[in-house]
Amino acid sequence: MGLDVHFDWTGSIGEVVLGATKSDGGSRKISYRIGGGTTLPFLDADSPAPSPLIAFEVCDNPQFWSPIVRKYCGDITNNTPEWVHAAEASYGADLIRLYLTSTRQRNFTDVSSVGKTVEEVLSATDLPLIIEGSNEPKIDSDVFQKCGETGQGEKLLLGTAEASRYRSIAAAALAYDHSIIAQSPIDVNLAKQLNILLREIGIQRDHIVIDPYTGSLGYGFEYSYSAMERIRFSALKGDVDLAMPMICSAIDTLTVKEVRESELQIQDEIAVRWEFYTGFAAAVAGAEIICVRHPATIMMLRKAFGSLKSQDRTRMVM
Amino acid sequence: MITGNKTMTDVELSKKRGEEQLKVEMMNLKHSFSYEETAYHLPISFALTGIAVHDPVSAADVFTRTDNNPIVASECILADKTAIRGKEPSPYTGFIGDTVIRKLGYSLVDGSILGLALVVGTPGSSGTAAAICRELQEKYMLTFLAGTIIPSLSASGVRLGLDYRLIPLGSAPSHGIHFVDIIARVAMMFGGVTPGDTQRLLTYAAERAKAIVIVFEGLTDEEIAFVDGMRVLGFPILSLGDYQSGSWISSSPEDVVRKGMEAKGIRVNVTAIPIPMGCSPAFEGKSIRKEEMYVEFGGGRSTAFELLRMRPANEIKDGQVTVIGPEIDSMKEGSANPLGIVIEVAGKAMKKDYEPVLERRIHNFVNYGEGSWHVAQRDLIWVRLSKEVVAKGVRIEHLGKLLASKFRMDFPQLLDAVAVTLITDPEKVSAARKEAEKIYEERDARIKGMRDNEVNTYYSCTLCQTFAPNHVCVITPERPALCGAISWLDGKIAFEMSPSGANQPVEKGAIINAQNGEFEGVNRFIKKASHGEIDRCSLYSVMEYPMTCCGCFEAIALMLPEVNGIMVVNREFKGVTPSGMSFSTLAGTIGGGAQTPGFAGISKNYILSDRFLQGEGGIQRLVWLPSQLKEELKPRLVSKLNEQGLNDFFDKIADETTATTIEELIVFLERVKHPALAMKPLV
Repeated sequence: MGLDVHFDWTGSIGEVVLGATKSDGGSRKISYRIGGGTTLPFLDADSPAPSPLIAFEVCDNPQFWSPIVRKYCGDITNNTPEWVHAAEASYGADLIRLYLTSTRQRNFTDVSSVGKTVEEVLSATDLPLIIEGSNEPKIDSDVFQKCGETGQGEKLLLGTAEASRYRSIAAAALAYDHSIIAQSPIDVNLAKQLNILLREIGIQRDHIVIDPYTGSLGYGFEYSYSAMERIRFSALKGDVDLAMPMICSAIDTLTVKEVRESELQIQDEIAVRWEFYTGFAAAVAGAEIICVRHPATIMMLRKAFGSLKSQDRTRMVM
Repeated sequence: MITGNKTMTDVELSKKRGEEQLKVEMMNLKHSFSYEETAYHLPISFALTGIAVHDPVSAADVFTRTDNNPIVASECILADKTAIRGKEPSPYTGFIGDTVIRKLGYSLVDGSILGLALVVGTPGSSGTAAAICRELQEKYMLTFLAGTIIPSLSASGVRLGLDYRLIPLGSAPSHGIHFVDIIARVAMMFGGVTPGDTQRLLTYAAERAKAIVIVFEGLTDEEIAFVDGMRVLGFPILSLGDYQSGSWISSSPEDVVRKGMEAKGIRVNVTAIPIPMGCSPAFEGKSIRKEEMYVEFGGGRSTAFELLRMRPANEIKDGQVTVIGPEIDSMKEGSANPLGIVIEVAGKAMKKDYEPVLERRIHNFVNYGEGSWHVAQRDLIWVRLSKEVVAKGVRIEHLGKLLASKFRMDFPQLLDAVAVTLITDPEKVSAARKEAEKIYEERDARIKGMRDNEVNTYYSCTLCQTFAPNHVCVITPERPALCGAISWLDGKIAFEMSPSGANQPVEKGAIINAQNGEFEGVNRFIKKASHGEIDRCSLYSVMEYPMTCCGCFEAIALMLPEVNGIMVVNREFKGVTPSGMSFSTLAGTIGGGAQTPGFAGISKNYILSDRFLQGEGGIQRLVWLPSQLKEELKPRLVSKLNEQGLNDFFDKIADETTATTIEELIVFLERVKHPALAMKPLV
């Protein structure tokens, strides 16, 4: 009866483990196994694939972070460990994505501070951690080495590898057993090529998460959606070089004109809606991890995923 | 130097004796031993067999299992000795702990270290050893030292230690075993080699570990057995002593590093170009106007040419730039001067066929320079240098440096060495140009002879799938990519350089339809590469299963049913064509990766190919071309037509001056008695 939601697909999405608990040699209270899907998301009630995870993004130097988020979260944005703690305890995130924005200042050299920040963040939360390192090839090697070393045993997810720049991240992942985010510019073939490059350097498939690059809703998201769809279709048709979980972070969402210039009293609501719809669409396209920056988006997404997961499809979100 | 009457050491004999001695010593092990700060026990033994060796019994077991391997023996014996005598004093490092190895491995994957070298033995002079080590440092190699080379280096003031990438392992060459235990651990930590998986370890060592071994004089039999044992791991052994061996590479101190790195395929990446002007693709589109120019070369104002040739590796010195003739300071501002650009390249993967393709890159590279500008090719080139950069200190020599560096940077897989000669002496330029012209002719003859039916492999291009998700270009010798930018040779080279890139080989397979150019293999490939969207593709037909179009085509060929012919319009033509549509309207209709019978995206040069419109009966189908394109192609098109006996055909092709509408076109074609009117109906 009904539609076979597996069509003629034979492939499945590979699984990646994020975070290590004490028994696995880490210090996290929880670890996740993402991926494992055999069809598109939310189609199969018995699917082994869990709901997408929601990652809250923080940074260690909020100078250029969205003013909307800084205002909403308050002073704790200047105290990375406290902010991270709030993300877990108050905002209800599944995992933390830490951007080491401090390394993105001109002439940054203080690599030891990176280790300290990562250490503090690891003690401030029990959740698995995603770390976004430097933006500057010159310091990549030192920064990623430090991140990898400090987080040894914690099964971090390190970002972000691109075709022109992946060796340092790959090296940190290999040396200290972490996974990595492989980003390509909205293109299925380039995504595959990067995965092959990573494989050639020695990264196992179960240590790669694809970032298809996510445009904000209204600002190119449809391209991302279509690239994600094609990545997922190829994977389900059996292309193992694309059969990895995906992570989406529409980082421009809070800076699009509609959000930035909205009236102050409704700005938070607009920001959240914009993030919600972008993240939700990305989840429908198949992303296993959705990253957000506004705390209030987290619960809204969780509710939406819950209603899609449940058998009762007639109940609408919101 | 001790040479002359000293007898040569026969490596084979020494090795046999050495292996016997190692065997005896293995039987005399008495103690238990273990290294600190490692989870890999005796790493080589552990990697090979999965057995944790800590005492004579397990050592003997592993020795037997590995068929009395001299490396295993050397590892066990040194561990035993270290247990008895303790670690050697500083500066010797002895066994290096896992934490350091993890960092070393990181640098290897990261690319900040290109490879590993072990240098053992007693150098003839400390100066020689120091020079070799300096070269290794300069080439981003991490060098391990064992034996009397260490005091010899210290004596000549060379600083040792991890920070200097020169690591003194121990006082005797046998301590070089730690070099192998490091590689064994890197294989287990980074290469996913599980302990005991001998085959994987050997594959990793041979293919991934970029390691070379340099051997000076004075090795004992046991040490020779150990060093020779490393050949199994795929490390080239370079000999600087009087060793007689068919498998060791004998070298001189001057070329030992180059030879070793070459034998192992280790390449130095150039990252910065040492010239006083910016160099980036961002400058490619700029032009240097007459009033901005300091000097110019060629462009009809003076003799100039460019040539890229392949040479044997030993005939060129990488990075060498030579200027023959006056430099820029003796050239008058605003003057035109002769110039010959001669680039010589060498590389294991380099082939003669690639010469013209690489030569075309000179154009891009010179334009990358902030104040250098280049147009055209071969002996038609026109080069300018701007006043601005000449004032900053740019000289002719820097053009050479730019070219040498860019070629090395962009073709690291292909080229091991690039040398550039810039000739500015008028007589020498003329002489060299004559030489170059002979080579151009030879090349033309070779490429001209290349036919679609002479090769079994075509190349795909899916670069445009970014925009046109199901588009697949199939590039053949006689049909370049529809953007005009990639020829069959380009595709072939791109594939060789980047095997997982956008250009893949397409086996053409059995012929389905020779006239239309439909092949089983091509169809199979298209089906897969278009993600199942396209089943068939005829390479030479506009009407039946034409190739898909992305959006980059230089021109569009389309059928005009009213005149039973085919017209072509290029991107530059802004007007409305007899089809009633402009180029941009047409482009919007057929692009995006769709297959549209009656329409095909093509490159301009394809019009000159013998395969052009083959499916529709040949070039006689061509009824209309924009006049500008007609002019551009005229010399080559006319001679092509004459070859086919179509001497009066060129003037029968209409353009916008003779026909702007379909009605006018009908009138024109009937008046000139265009052959298409009488051909088999297209529809």
